[in-house]
Order: sequence, then structure tokens, then C-alpha cells
Amino acid sequence: MMRILKWLGLAIVVIAFGGFLTFLYYIPPFFSVSPEDYVKQAAAPAVSLDGITDPAQRAIAERGKYLVTVSDCGGCHNTPGPEGPDPNMYLAGGGKIGFSGAGTAVSRNLTSDPETGLGNVKDDEIKRVLRSGVFHDGRMMHHRQMPWNASSNWTEEDRHAVVTYLRLVKPIRHKIPDPDRAATFDDKDAAGHFFGQDAGTVPAPIN
Amino acid sequence: MTMLVRARAAFAAARSGRVAKAAALGGALGLSASLCVGAQAPRGAAATPATPSDGKTIYDAHCANCHGAAGKGDGPASSLLTVRPRDFTLGRYKLRSTESGAVPTDDDLLRTIKSGMHGSAMPEWAPFLSDAQVQAVATYIKSFSRRFAADTPQAISLADPPAASPDSIARGKGVYERLKCASCHGDAGTGRGAVNTDLKDDWDRPIAATRLTEPWTFRGGATPRDILLRFRTGMSGSPMPSFKDAATDVEMGHLANYVVSLARKPVWEMNTADVKAFYEDLNRQERSDKVARGRYLIDTLGCKYCHSPIKADGSAIEEFMLAGGQRLSLYPFMEPVTYNLTSDRTTGLGAWTDEQIKNVLTRGVRPDGSRMLPFPMPWPAYGSLKPEDLDALIAALRSLPPVSNAIPAPKEPSLIPYLWGKFQFLILKRDIPSTDYPGNAGTPGGASSWQTRAK
Repeated sequence: MMRILKWLGLAIVVIAFGGFLTFLYYIPPFFSVSPEDYVKQAAAPAVSLDGITDPAQRAIAERGKYLVTVSDCGGCHNTPGPEGPDPNMYLAGGGKIGFSGAGTAVSRNLTSDPETGLGNVKDDEIKRVLRSGVFHDGRMMHHRQMPWNASSNWTEEDRHAVVTYLRLVKPIRHKIPDPDRAATFDDKDAAGHFFGQDAGTVPAPIN
Repeated sequence: MTMLVRARAAFAAARSGRVAKAAALGGALGLSASLCVGAQAPRGAAATPATPSDGKTIYDAHCANCHGAAGKGDGPASSLLTVRPRDFTLGRYKLRSTESGAVPTDDDLLRTIKSGMHGSAMPEWAPFLSDAQVQAVATYIKSFSRRFAADTPQAISLADPPAASPDSIARGKGVYERLKCASCHGDAGTGRGAVNTDLKDDWDRPIAATRLTEPWTFRGGATPRDILLRFRTGMSGSPMPSFKDAATDVEMGHLANYVVSLARKPVWEMNTADVKAFYEDLNRQERSDKVARGRYLIDTLGCKYCHSPIKADGSAIEEFMLAGGQRLSLYPFMEPVTYNLTSDRTTGLGAWTDEQIKNVLTRGVRPDGSRMLPFPMPWPAYGSLKPEDLDALIAALRSLPPVSNAIPAPKEPSLIPYLWGKFQFLILKRDIPSTDYPGNAGTPGGASSWQTRAK
């Protein structure tokens, strides 16, 4: 009797484990959502511009909204939630970019919150990041991280439209942690060859 | 039901770690550091005068990303830019106060570094570098070309252009016609009606004639004197010649006044009625020249970022631009390879129908009916493209010269790592580190696996 139970128990464990692995193997990770729903999901959190009364401002903002949407800024800059990007945290940053051996970078908060977002960054300074990959404090951005050399190709007027739109995004207080500096970052052979120089060694900016 | 919930969770996890997995984005990623670590050196340090060795340090940190460590204008970030960074090795500079063909003076270089070049990615460095640092960089930049050692540049003496008046502008218009400026810059500087539309620079790369109606894009400034200087000395390296022998200084001064008079307001200075008219006109233009609009979309959406194989420094291999071949790691799912977007019939999009391209671009459904993951290819975002932009994009893709580059099928993971990866990803909810760029596929040259180096 005991022997049978023991074998039965073992069999159950084996079957359960095998079943679990099979289940794990066959989980369809992404395709339960239709293409149309993905498109809606990506476009949904964008700001409604209906409230803008000045038609000029609205036309500019519409253009910016379109550029921000199709350029998929939210793909990196939306805050991740438990069920995909959190729709209440549109462009509030916090998406993680992990690199094996090179640490994790975190996307910045693009809303106009003064402390944690772009509230205290001037329009021209935002444009400079998008155009040249140079931050308001002189830090350099790598083009493989944020592809500023694609946003650089926008006409200045399109870039203006993008910034106009970003200013309309609801300010959200969301502190973005400093990216963790990779353990192997100092290994110039590994990480260094992709970005050459640690910006921290640059002589200090003046004024 | 459980399946569905799990699937959603998986999606959530995937979206949240989106870029992580989407190798693409990461590409070169050592970079976290560049963004993050930043120039945190104490600000007072700059009080000490810059030495020539500082020139190299500053150049490597601030300039080499576009202009290349050897000054060849081929830095890692350069290949996606439509306005290419200057190659310093030939000593040819656009913004000079010296005769056509001569090297620029130090003052010319300092001014360019400090104020940047409008309408290009070159930023103004004055807010970030002291005069001594700018001088040190300029000295270092000069060392890339032997011409600076051989020549002593002399600034030309040039009278100011005549005061702007209706008469001067009318004369300038005559000069514009006589010198056939419209053949490149179009009627009244709008670009429309231009005959020379496929201009190449000295490096045989496409270059666009500046729209004279948009003074905020004039590389070297938009005052009548700035403009006169460009006419008088030319813009070396570009198709813009010096008109020294074709017109007198005074005539060129009138021309400068005429060009200034062509300016329209930028959208940020327009009043309501102007903005409306501006966007209507822009939409009309975009619809009338599909290929141009499509190329603009390709350049600004960053298609080249993933769909070109890259070298170890993160720059694209030019001969294979848009011909696909970046292998991306979507650990633990698979390692897909970006597709060849050129019009090659066997390995690219040449034999695809418009409908098939649209299906991939906006719905993530391949011609064989299989579905793409919602990342790294951002088709959920492209699903919002306007129909006319989609058509333009396809027209532009069709116009790409065919490049043969066979793209291999995605590499499937082996069973055990796959299961273990999925377990960590879905159940332990770990941020799984991923390499984004394990090397090119199907393309000769380029980087080898980055992961193996990073351990």
C-alpha cells in the first residue's frame, strides 16, 4: 500500500513538474493581444488636445503629438506597470535598459515636473538634446542608448512641435534613480569600446 | 484563463523591460555610463589654462562621437545624421573668412565651435567650454590636416554689404537670377523648381541645398554680412562655390540683402493664421513629393538604427545601410536579425507587395502570416502612421538601391536556457540582463559578439 502511494506520489510530482515545464515552454508570451489592440495600447495614453483653444498652439501640438507617437518615445519613456506600460504614467520614465555586464540604464522622466522631470529644463536645452545629444549640463548622450542622431534629423520646426507637445504632458513626480554603474564599466575592452570615453573625465564645464 | 493572465503578465514584463530585451535599442550599450555618469568634475577645475593635451581629451569626449577619433567625420553617431559631420583630414571648411580653397583662420574655427552650425547636429559649445578649452580643441582639430602647417590663413578684407533697401533687394534679385542660384536653391529660395536635386559633397555623400527661406538653418549665421561672406568665400567641401569671379562684392552684398528678404517666419514666431496656412502648405508638399517625405520619415524614425549592421564602435557599415543584419538578443525568446529593407528582389523587399510591407509595418504580421513580437520593431507605434505617410514610407523604401544581404532566420534558444530564462522572466520577475548586440549576421565585417567580451 505504502509503496503504491510512494510511486503514485512520485509519479504525480514528475507529471506536475513535466507539465509545468511544458506549460512554461508553450506560454504564448505575446500573441494573445491582437495587432489592432497593440496599436491602440501604444497610442492611448497620449494627451488629448481638445482643450487647447488657440488654434495655432493646437496645430503645433497636434504635429508634435503625431511625431512623439509614431516615433515611439513611449516605448522607452513610459513607466512600466504590472500590466504593460502604466497608462497613468505617460512619459514619466523609469523603463530599464539592461546590458549584461554593463549595468542598467533607466529612461528619464519627460514630463514637466520641476524636480524629477523637465520642468526646470529650458525648451532650447531639450531641443539641444534632441538635436545634438548634449544635455543642459554638458553631459554627452550615447546615440545607441537614446537615438538622438535620428531625432537630430527632424527639422527645427518639427523639433519645436515635439517640445510644445511634451510641455502639455501632465507633470508627474517620478524620481528616476541614477543608473547603476556597471561593474565591468571600467573594463575598457568590454564596455569602453562602444563609447570610447567616460564623460566623467572631461575637464569641467565652465560657468 | 490562466494562460491569458500569464500571457498578459508576460507581455507586461516584456513591455516594461522592453528595451532591455529589445536588444536593438541597446546596441552599443556601454553607454549607460555616458548618459548617467556624466561630467561631474568639479566646476572650479577649469580655471587652470587648457594645454594642448586637453585639446585631445576634450575632443575625444565631446567631438569624436560624430567627427571620429581620427577626425575623419566618421564617428559612431555620424552615419544616421543627414547633415554629415565634417571630415577634418582634408582641411576643407565651410565657414571661413579666407579665400576659397584656403584653410580657415583660428577665429573662424573658434566661432564655429562656440556658436555651432545651425541646421545641423553641431551644437554651440560656448556654454560648456572655456575660451582656453575651445582654443585647445581648435588646435587639436588643426593637427588632423597637414594643410594648416603649410598655410598661414589670411582673413580677406570685405566691406559690409550695402544697407538693405527695396532697390538693393531688387538688384540682389537680378544677381540671384544671373548667378542661377535657383538651380540649387529653387525659386525665391524655397527649394521648389530646383534642377540640381541630387547634390553630392566632396565625400560623394548626398547633401541638400539650404532653403533660403529658413534663415535659422543657415550654418554660419543669417546676418547680411554672414551671408555675404559665404558668397565671397564659398563653402568648401560642399557644392556651394565662391562667386568671387562672377560678381563684385557690392553685387554680392545686394544678393545678401535679397536672401535676407526671402526669410519667412519660423513656426514658433507665427500668428494663428500663418500657422494654419503653414501646416496646410507643409501637408501639401509632403503629399506631392512622396519619396522625399518617406526619406524624411526613414531618417527621423531611426530605421537605420536597427536595420543596418554596425561596427564595434556602434557606427553603421555604410555599404549595408538599411540592408539589415543586426542580430538582436531577445533573451530568453530568440535572436532575430533585422531585415533587409532595400529593394533587392531575393534578399530584400523588392518582391514584396505594398500590402505585405504595410502588414509588417502597422500590424506586425509577416507575409507568411506569422506574427512579430511587439518589440523591438515598434510596429505598434507605426500603426498610428497616417495612410499618406505609410505610402510615402513605402515609396521611399522602394527607391533604395538594392543591396544583396541574405538575412538568416532567427536563432532559437536551446531548451534548457529557454525554460530557465522564461522561469526567471515570468515567475521570478527578474530583469533579465540581455546583450543587445551579439554581432552582425549575414554581413561581412562588423563587430563580433559583444557579450563574449563583456563576460
